[in-house]
Amino acid sequence: MIDKFKAAFREEAYELLSQLEDTLLELESQPKNGELINAAFRAIHTVKGSSAMFGFETISHFTHEIESALDQCRNGTLPITKDFIGLTLKARDHLKNLLEYDEPPPPELVAFGETLLVRYREFLSGGHGIHPHASASSPAGSGSPSTAKQGAIEVSPSGGPTGAGGARASDTFAKGGDLSTWRIFFKPKADIFTDGTKVLNLVEELASLGEAATYAHAESIPLLEDLAAESCFCAWDIILTTAKSENDIKDVFIFVEDHAEIRIERISEEGMDEEGRAKRLGEILIERGLVTRADLRAALGSQKKLGQVLVESKILSKPEVDSALVEQEHLKKVQDKTEAAAGSIRVASDKLDALVDLVGELVTLQARLSQTSLELKDVSLASISEQFERLIAQLRDNTMSIRMLPIGSTFNKFRRVVRDLSIELGKEAELVTEGAETELDKTVIEKLGDPLVHIIRNSLDHGIERPDEREKAGKPRKGIITLSARHSGAYVLIQVSDDGKGLDRDAIYAKGLERGLIVPGQEMTDNELFLLIFAPGFSTAKAVTTVSGRGVGMDVVKREIDSLGGIVSLSTELGKGLAVTLKIPLTLAIIDGLLVRIVDEYYVVPLSSVDGCIEIHASELRDLGERRIISYRDELVPFISLRSVFQAGGDEPEIEQIVITNSQDMRVGFVVDQVVGDYQTVIKPLGRMFRDVEGLSGATILGDGTVALILDVNRLAATVQREAGRRIGHGGER
Amino acid sequence: MPAKTNKTPKIVNLSGALIIDRASALKDELVAAFAESSQVLVSLSLVEDLDLSCLQVFYAARRSAASTGMDFHFIGTVPPRIAKRLATTGFLDGMPERAEDFEAALIDFS
Repeated sequence: MIDKFKAAFREEAYELLSQLEDTLLELESQPKNGELINAAFRAIHTVKGSSAMFGFETISHFTHEIESALDQCRNGTLPITKDFIGLTLKARDHLKNLLEYDEPPPPELVAFGETLLVRYREFLSGGHGIHPHASASSPAGSGSPSTAKQGAIEVSPSGGPTGAGGARASDTFAKGGDLSTWRIFFKPKADIFTDGTKVLNLVEELASLGEAATYAHAESIPLLEDLAAESCFCAWDIILTTAKSENDIKDVFIFVEDHAEIRIERISEEGMDEEGRAKRLGEILIERGLVTRADLRAALGSQKKLGQVLVESKILSKPEVDSALVEQEHLKKVQDKTEAAAGSIRVASDKLDALVDLVGELVTLQARLSQTSLELKDVSLASISEQFERLIAQLRDNTMSIRMLPIGSTFNKFRRVVRDLSIELGKEAELVTEGAETELDKTVIEKLGDPLVHIIRNSLDHGIERPDEREKAGKPRKGIITLSARHSGAYVLIQVSDDGKGLDRDAIYAKGLERGLIVPGQEMTDNELFLLIFAPGFSTAKAVTTVSGRGVGMDVVKREIDSLGGIVSLSTELGKGLAVTLKIPLTLAIIDGLLVRIVDEYYVVPLSSVDGCIEIHASELRDLGERRIISYRDELVPFISLRSVFQAGGDEPEIEQIVITNSQDMRVGFVVDQVVGDYQTVIKPLGRMFRDVEGLSGATILGDGTVALILDVNRLAATVQREAGRRIGHGGER
Repeated sequence: MPAKTNKTPKIVNLSGALIIDRASALKDELVAAFAESSQVLVSLSLVEDLDLSCLQVFYAARRSAASTGMDFHFIGTVPPRIAKRLATTGFLDGMPERAEDFEAALIDFS
């Protein structure tokens, strides 16, 4: 149980730290934005509170100091500087590292945290040594009473979440077993002070056992002239969520049992009603024995709020209602934490992958069922097979949608890359993101991280000029790198563009010659030439920096994008900038494909690449001879016979089919014997033996158990285009 | 408590630990203050500790003042330690520092 809560805490903390990073980066450019300062404060405050609650004492201790500093920033007594943002970003990274460990974390991590804290203390004392709350107590105050009050609620000078209903949680809370919520009523006898009992200390001790919501009943305190100053007139309702046992709770009162009325009762199922909802006020009041169901029914007939009706009709006093409301609020808080775990279940990705694999198996099995029903010509079986097919398609879509994540989750880390790198390189740059909500398969997103980092680093190092150079070129000192994502059919287009100096065609050509990638005199299109920057070891940089210039990186980009079945393309204008576009398939698991046959071999063409199919007679093909180009929708389309590509042999049928595909915005045709039809394709990787086979991206299993190979349309298309270009070139020479 | 019409505020500056030993004396001091003025203002700025017995005196003073048309208010700031203790023990909603906010946040006080 406690592990579940810890996992929920970690998940929440990671999210908060991610938000904090964004906020800090925004704050750097808008240091006076109060909303952002508050957001940063809230993130740290929440991490601090939750970490204390779940026993992550090191994190709690560490965040306390940052919180103090951010509080000073909120009060305006500590300016937000680049150094301060830098330090807080480092602190954020450190917190992320700490989250990897249970208590206690490795000593070296703790020691590193201390060095960061020393720097915070320097910030806090160095010229800004004003007490965190000094401004609030200054004659001018710190704003409206409401803001002062709100600020005070959040700030806990001695650490830990505080406030009515928010007693500081101790580490013992986390170290125990299952969490339970208890309703405790404590009413000391009037003479309790006489034996030296410190009543408030008892309540504090009780609250320290876990997360507590405490309501003090002060309504019995008489007028001053009637007050027996040494008598106690107060009582408490305490709602305590803790891992401690009932006996532990009783132990707090061990010395006052005879001097107080004490009731301890466990609240059922963490304060949920039978249907798992947070308890309503009426249910709490009935449980407390304050109202009957009849009272409740009568009160609920009114349009007013229940508590108000019960107070107005004098069934209950206002403190009784207020106390029950405190309980309700606490229970909601507990429920929210439970739901945080349940609402966004953190599932190990291997389980999800296993689920996708199983769905893949089902899809394959369904294909077999479908084929069998066709062969047997059994109407009942065919009907079942069709229903099964529909269900499997839904299951497939649902399962795949679970793995879809907004790509924006990876965008965040690039902002930090740009920030840190621009400082390192002495440049000014800003990352602008667009289309963060674009969804993509989780596995694809994970694989995109490194390539995008390389592209962005490259843009910053080689593209964006130094501020003085930019000024000379009539550009703003600060460069802009735009990272955008959008859907395009079964693909996502991700583009990294900058307003830097762009690619120098001549420099790339010269480097290509030097590295033997180009034959002297060879003519190339701009795109072909620019794609050389993705060749291993290719760099036109005159100096190698720690960032780039060794030519390592961009080749990794190409390799990674290729492995994703994606396409890289470039567009650039000298002096204006460069745009690198990645066209990435939405998923790598199950795709819709077009099943084709050559002799007795089956192949799958990804349906997202298919533009159309046309029939062609063998005689027409013979007439075309070497000129493998046909007219398709008023466009000349080069084509290639897959029979010859895969050396399938056999006789060509009298009528063949050309599958027209669209790759890299160019149409290319593939001649096949027969187009079988659409096919749900579960992509299986090719073994190591076939890794270097060009033109294939994977395999799939058909309904009859045979294997069909999946075409790598991009690579094949590139081959066709090269061939076509060569033939045209030869033609020109002739 | 007889109603006074003297509107010149009577300021009561308190300091040190307000604990059971001082509860009776505190009560007497406030009674005397109301005898002097219809507006009694108490400063807790220098108070280091506050226990239930003395807190009850403040509640009682407030109620008496309200019942006789007089004023009883806190002024200045509230030491965070006091605010934290009262928040943890359910008397205070939040952790206000300014006396006027503190007064507004005290449960069942106004």
